[in-house]
Amino acid sequence: MSDAGSAAGSGSVEGTPRIAAKAVGKRFGDLQVFKDINMTIGEREIVTVVGPSGCGKTTLLRCVNGLLPVSEGEIQIEGTPVTRPRQGVAMVFQNFGLFPWKTVLSNVSYGLKLDGCPKEDLRDRSMEKIKLVGLEGFENSYPYQLSGGMQQRCGLARALAVEPSVLLMDEPFAAIDAQTREILQFELLRIWEMRPTSMMFVTHSIEEAVLMGHRVVVLKGRPSSVFETVEVDLPEPRGRETLSHPQFNELREHVWANLMDEVRAAEFEVN
Amino acid sequence: MIDMNKKWARFATYAVGLLIGAGMWQYFGARGNQLASASLTETFSRFIRLIENGELPTAVANSMQLYVAGFSAAIIAASALGLLMSRIRFLRVGIENYVMLLYATPMVAVVPFISSLLGPFFMAKFVVVFLFGFFPVLYNTLEGGRSLRPELVEVATSFRSGEMALWRDLLIPYTLPFILTGVRQGAGRALVGVVASEFLVSSSGMGGMIRYYDGNYIIEGVFATVIVLTAIGVLLMWLGRLLEDRFAAWRGLNR
Repeated sequence: MSDAGSAAGSGSVEGTPRIAAKAVGKRFGDLQVFKDINMTIGEREIVTVVGPSGCGKTTLLRCVNGLLPVSEGEIQIEGTPVTRPRQGVAMVFQNFGLFPWKTVLSNVSYGLKLDGCPKEDLRDRSMEKIKLVGLEGFENSYPYQLSGGMQQRCGLARALAVEPSVLLMDEPFAAIDAQTREILQFELLRIWEMRPTSMMFVTHSIEEAVLMGHRVVVLKGRPSSVFETVEVDLPEPRGRETLSHPQFNELREHVWANLMDEVRAAEFEVN
Repeated sequence: MIDMNKKWARFATYAVGLLIGAGMWQYFGARGNQLASASLTETFSRFIRLIENGELPTAVANSMQLYVAGFSAAIIAASALGLLMSRIRFLRVGIENYVMLLYATPMVAVVPFISSLLGPFFMAKFVVVFLFGFFPVLYNTLEGGRSLRPELVEVATSFRSGEMALWRDLLIPYTLPFILTGVRQGAGRALVGVVASEFLVSSSGMGGMIRYYDGNYIIEGVFATVIVLTAIGVLLMWLGRLLEDRFAAWRGLNR
């Protein structure tokens, strides 16, 4: 699996990055959320974006998806500017975003159907992803019959079903209990190893950011901008043992120290 | 104390209640003023006669024709308008107040006006039934359509859904249980509309029968017709509940 690791690193070195943000800023009326954000994500690379609540990391992800227009600068995917959601880009949502009236199978095939996948392939291709995320046997269940962790597995399968070249993760495990979250983190890493893509992963958990990312982009300030980009050179594939790696702790403490004063300031602001 | 959890105990209580009701009807109906009351047995024998001579079946067919025509038109128009209003903001802001006003208005108050506007014809009755059924369906559809979670619309946009596909995949399946709640509420109202229009626009169907027998002091004829209306009302309520449960399984358990 060491070649997967080197492939992941090579993404940022190759010619055109798959995702590129160039001096991107976003305003809602008078409120400047973030400004002057520059980042690139290679074609086989996981970049995590971490920052305190309200720093605009989810807004940035929505801009990359094309759900929101940027106010300044430009976001490019494969060299062309993003103006609306495009094929090959799929998002996994914080609150799962499953359709409660659809079964797991119909939820997973939703994106495929919109992409015009022929009817006879729809089931097979969806079932393949349902198996991949470990939901086999639950394809005819409704979301309310599943636990939070299983619902997000379904959300992940729906995103993977369209064979995306860019995967956007919007705090996907934030609404899931701690033990299940850990399991899903390693599941996602396993799936990514099998099928590496360009992944932008937004989280407010520093630990998660360091565990999942090949690089960690730290957002800070009001309006926020990139405070630093941390290269994470942990051995691959990552798993439970990564959490006890000395370098993991070092990196986590480093990011934590950088964000702490900001978090403190935010806390006092509320008081 | 009788244990109401026992099946036979409940059934027996049920039967005794019905027997007491029937007995009181028979007793007071037979002894009351003959111009204003009728006993159970009188009503029953009139009921059999009205079926045998075809008067009641014809009237029921007549009324139900009006009901189905008016109410199905109301369901289609109200759900279509409700869905449009939930997606198009200026339409909603512009019309919403009228919907609330008319939903709250006792529709029977406008029947004389419709009657004089359209004359004593089927069209006027159709419009009355339509109006009785229209607003509950519209109100519920609108409430449903606008409660569609924006996050789900965002999911659809993220997967590059067009407006047509959004209606097919999200708006209609999500709103359907709300529409059916409106249909269930409207079903009873539309039946009131049928009788009201048969009273007030021109005499026909079951409403016409009630008017005729009441005018001629044949109270058992009135009662026989009312019982059929009651049965139809109960049937519609049961049917509505069945439909609603069938399509709202995910909603009931999800909340």
